[in-house]
Amino acid sequence: MDAPSPSRPTIRRLGRTTVDRIAAGEVVERPANALKELVENALDAGAAHIDVTLEAGGKRLLAVEDDGCGMDAEALALAVERHATSKIDDDHDLTDIRTLGFRGEALPSIGAVARLALTSRVPGSDCAFALTVEGGAVGAVKPAARAAGTRVEVRDLFFATPARLKFLRTDRAETQACVDGVKRLAMAHPGVAFTVRDGARLVFQAARRLETGEAALRARLAAVLGRQFTDNALDIVAERDGVRLGGLAGLPTYHRGNAQQQYLFVNGRPVKDRLLTGAVRAAYQDFLARDRHPVLALFLDLPAGEVDVNVHPAKAEVRFRDAGRVRGLIVSALRHALTAAGHRAADDTADRAVAAFARTPGAGSGAWTAAARPSAAQMGAAHAFQAPLPAAGQAPLPAAAGPGLGEAGAPTPYQPAHDLGGPSWPVGDPGADRGGEAAGAEGLGGAGAYGSLDPGLDAPSARAEAPGADDAALVRHPLGAARAQIHETYIVAQSGEGLVLVDQHAAHERLVYERMKRALAEGGVARQMLLLPEVVELDDGAGVAALVDRAAELAGFGLVVEPFGDGAVVVREVPALLGDTDVAGLVRTLADELVDLDEALALKDRLFHVCATMACHGSVRAGRRLTVAEMNALLREMEATPHSGQCNHGRPTYVSLDLDQIERLFSRR
Amino acid sequence: MKLTIERSSLLKSLGHVHSVVERRNTIPILSNVLLDAADGRLSLTATDLDLAIVEATEAHGIEPGATTVPAHTLYDIVRKLPDGAEVSLSLDDNQRLTIEAGRSSFKLACLPRDDFPSMTDGDLPHNFALPAVELKRLIDKTRFAISTEETRYYLNGIYLHVAQGADGPVLRAVATDGHRLAQADTVVPEGAAEMPGVIVPRKTVGEIRKLIDEFEGDVEVALSDTKIRFGFGQAVVTSKLIDGTFPDYSRVIPKGNEKELSLDCRAFANAVDRVSTISTDKSRAVKLSLGDDSITLSVTSPENGTATEELAAAYQAEAMDIGFNSRYLLDILGQVEGDTVAARLASPDAPTVVTDEADQAALYVLMPMRV
Repeated sequence: MDAPSPSRPTIRRLGRTTVDRIAAGEVVERPANALKELVENALDAGAAHIDVTLEAGGKRLLAVEDDGCGMDAEALALAVERHATSKIDDDHDLTDIRTLGFRGEALPSIGAVARLALTSRVPGSDCAFALTVEGGAVGAVKPAARAAGTRVEVRDLFFATPARLKFLRTDRAETQACVDGVKRLAMAHPGVAFTVRDGARLVFQAARRLETGEAALRARLAAVLGRQFTDNALDIVAERDGVRLGGLAGLPTYHRGNAQQQYLFVNGRPVKDRLLTGAVRAAYQDFLARDRHPVLALFLDLPAGEVDVNVHPAKAEVRFRDAGRVRGLIVSALRHALTAAGHRAADDTADRAVAAFARTPGAGSGAWTAAARPSAAQMGAAHAFQAPLPAAGQAPLPAAAGPGLGEAGAPTPYQPAHDLGGPSWPVGDPGADRGGEAAGAEGLGGAGAYGSLDPGLDAPSARAEAPGADDAALVRHPLGAARAQIHETYIVAQSGEGLVLVDQHAAHERLVYERMKRALAEGGVARQMLLLPEVVELDDGAGVAALVDRAAELAGFGLVVEPFGDGAVVVREVPALLGDTDVAGLVRTLADELVDLDEALALKDRLFHVCATMACHGSVRAGRRLTVAEMNALLREMEATPHSGQCNHGRPTYVSLDLDQIERLFSRR
Repeated sequence: MKLTIERSSLLKSLGHVHSVVERRNTIPILSNVLLDAADGRLSLTATDLDLAIVEATEAHGIEPGATTVPAHTLYDIVRKLPDGAEVSLSLDDNQRLTIEAGRSSFKLACLPRDDFPSMTDGDLPHNFALPAVELKRLIDKTRFAISTEETRYYLNGIYLHVAQGADGPVLRAVATDGHRLAQADTVVPEGAAEMPGVIVPRKTVGEIRKLIDEFEGDVEVALSDTKIRFGFGQAVVTSKLIDGTFPDYSRVIPKGNEKELSLDCRAFANAVDRVSTISTDKSRAVKLSLGDDSITLSVTSPENGTATEELAAAYQAEAMDIGFNSRYLLDILGQVEGDTVAARLASPDAPTVVTDEADQAALYVLMPMRV
């Protein structure tokens, strides 16, 4: 045996300061974490206005000022003690947490690594008190002056832990992280006004919304994520077994290159959860290409006992008691909303179209048209940092606007926002009241003009169609009456509100695809039993457990797996549609997806890919001449088919320009 | 190198070898065919490194020499020359091959002969002669079941081995894709009894199958653990074997199936083909409802509707419904030579054995579909 090493380490008890700094490392990793804790405190204090000031990315100064309930001298002294909090007490256990904070660690942790100054006055009291903590050394409570509420100043963050300071990113990046953190909290609290200043510069502002419920939420989301988003988003309202889901989900045609603009709030607390990522991927599957991501903000309210928030020092993760139910609720609510949206495509496609027209060089008026109408991108950017317009000017809200998400307590009977059975058309659209029929028949005069085109002018790639007898009725349809086919590829239709341009191949492909998927869903996936069952070795037991847990669901899609000893499954049946396929590869992908995302996407992907390939071959190609009856039939079928507004990759199948936009193009407005 | 050769014999030989050459190659020399003139013969060699084919043909006016030229280009040229033409080939000092026939003249860029990869046979200890008709039969009856899924590479060929048949040892060919299996037996030729079980790759199977049609007599087979050679007189195919273990197929051939069905093979195949017309998806499931001395085929398509057809059959066991992929059924029925096909079934979720009344040495196993 080896002799004991002469320098055998001895075990010592660490000093208080070191302990605090180690603990601080968990809670406060970068300025944005400290800021999040402080803003959450302000929200828990019932503030109506929260003002944040940053300097040097929060490294030099982080100040949070609120008009909340304040603290008296005694409370102030206790507040900087570790594990001291007003938010829970020992009688309550940790399963019923209703505040954002509860650990009693934020202020002492920040105090351990920075110079912390607190000034607070309880409303109605005649004196404010101040207290400073420097690198863990607590000063004395002194009288001070300030208005009701609390101001927390954090200077020289991490001065006590220089190593951490070295790992921070640039000031700009840290500022951005701080602003993002405040924005997340702002989304969930529309009743509170927020400002964020970087030095003297105002970088984020959200006015206090005095409306309640969905209207306030929509307005707040417009302020944070931009009007473009709220105009192209669907209301999500669903409730199941005491779990309530609200918020907005972007249309599939309004997508982004990354998944960063996907927000989930659990009981008003912003969280990052793989459950959301998986559920969103599942719900938007086959509306979007794999590398495109929808934008959404979802608010989940559930009884405090159903969720454990005490799993992460910074409370960025939560654990659900019944994760499967929550995921099911999110997927089905998103699916229903997307189905109800029918063929609706994001109207920024129209903006883009108009912008493209306006930019056309050689039009003579290009310069001033562009100036009169900023591009969609400019407008989006402008909206993102502005207070929203009054809610009255926004899209009509569903009748069943739920309660404000900040006030989860108020019970409201659940009503579906949409008729989920099929596509729904916005009834009472402003355009319909504008005498759309008259406009269609006479006001535009477009029909006549097209109809009387000299045949000699009829270019080979465009055909004009004379309106039929039932034209007035056709124009009333949302996608209108087909007027012409141009380049044997696009259908031009006249609707009550304007002009619709349809990509015939993309549209028909989607219709055939939807029909095939429906057949698949109705007829079930035929399963080919395997003569040689395939044993698939998986590296980890988690994959096997996940596959076996979801075996029933997989069987519904034609894949029958059973556990096979340690770390392996045996595949007994495969979807006949896939033919002679790489079963082992498919099963491994599925196991990874189930472990990472809790969703089996690959199987449906493969099945739908077969459908999509067949749909592509079985649909009307670009370049095929269509008669007016065929074109009208295509438009009517698009109206009747869910999800027909985008092709399988999230590209729009049609663009709709309303008369306003056309008139603006010609400077008539 | 210089020689003159009749167009038709050059075309025939090129036709045999050029299909080995892949259309797209990352190694330029693999696009070429090796021409080697010596001893009154022109021999042509093509390879894809896994498979090589050498064919010799009569030529005259030979000055010995060798070179390589693009195989598909040479084939296309010779194909378009007039029938009955005498083609003369000559290699000049600039490494260009001149091809002349009548008033046509072509000059092709060549690559040196030494760069051409040679496929060494190595030691092939097991030698036997197999009648061409038997080899043809073994291939035809099993080839359709070869898997195309490359992750299960060991199923991408025909497993040729000596097995214990009902009446002693047999030379057996087996192929399966995991959904169905096909097996065909023949007598063990002299010299084959000790051969190891080998998996002959799909591409090799295809190439030798083409050569069999123009050949009569015995095919000289020589093989080791890693290579196999088929000699068809003037043409010789050498191929690597698939380095893998073929699954123990005998376990999946059910022994205890007791429900016996037999019916007219052509009528059955035509009926399956007819009812599956209605199926629109790729799975093409057909349901067989077996009753007393009758069988009803039905296909349901959610889009199109339904199709049913009733056939007379000999069936005495209890009534049963079972589903199959119609394409798999047709593949098997297409190989049945006799008028009557027999099937032994157990249950709708167990494999079914199909046999041919006219060829008891062939057997097919088909796994049902759940419909």
